[in-house]
Amino acid sequence: MSDPGKTLALSASGMQAQAARLRFVSENIANADTPGYRRKTVSFEDSMAGGRSTGEVRTGPVRLDDSALTRIYDPSHPLADETGNYDGSNVDLVVEIADAREAQRSYEANLRMFDQSRQMQTALIELLRR
Amino acid sequence: MFDNIEVFRQAQAMASYAGARQSAIARNIANADTPGYKPTDLAPFAETYRAASGDMALRQTRGRHLMPGEGAGGLNEARARPVPGATAPNGNAVSIETEMMKAAEVRISHDLALSIYQNAIGILRTSLGRPR
Repeated sequence: MSDPGKTLALSASGMQAQAARLRFVSENIANADTPGYRRKTVSFEDSMAGGRSTGEVRTGPVRLDDSALTRIYDPSHPLADETGNYDGSNVDLVVEIADAREAQRSYEANLRMFDQSRQMQTALIELLRR
Repeated sequence: MFDNIEVFRQAQAMASYAGARQSAIARNIANADTPGYKPTDLAPFAETYRAASGDMALRQTRGRHLMPGEGAGGLNEARARPVPGATAPNGNAVSIETEMMKAAEVRISHDLALSIYQNAIGILRTSLGRPR
């Protein structure tokens, strides 16, 4: 019999990783109008313990998106240079919303699996109570 | 004692297979966005069960004999195999829809195994002349 606690831990690691991703998405959206802000991205990787993969997932190091910052023309802005332009952020709201939806979808899938594993265990314990 | 009655043994094997498969599916779904991850699945229950319990299977005649179903991972884990499917640009090949379908199958077979077990216990109790 496989360890039932391990199944729950697997689903929980998935939910944790998706929640972290969602956190960075909201950080990006909150800073969409911050001058000079570069959007943060995070990738998922295999969790290793003692040199071998545990099958769980975790978030890797945070990286900044290197794509060009948008130039905004506003001569009255305090950060504007001599041409009247300043650097905005490189956050694209459409991309962020799409990313958030995807994270939500994966989170729900993990949650379903967590719930199903839990219900299966409960059914097993019910059997003992008779 | 219950190990000797085929129906109990079969129900127990099915429930534990469902547990192991559930674990594989949970791993696939947790890694649904991990770049380069390939999903795995267990061999069908009919194959694993026949291999583990048929006449051709290894017999344990002494307590210290190692059985293929024991030890790290166990028989089910060792047979985990990759699932063919479409691959995303980042090398990930997990399809959440397929995994959900498999999860429903697992749920059904687990419930089925538990019902059979419970029913067999009921029959056993009736034959002993005790109220259920």
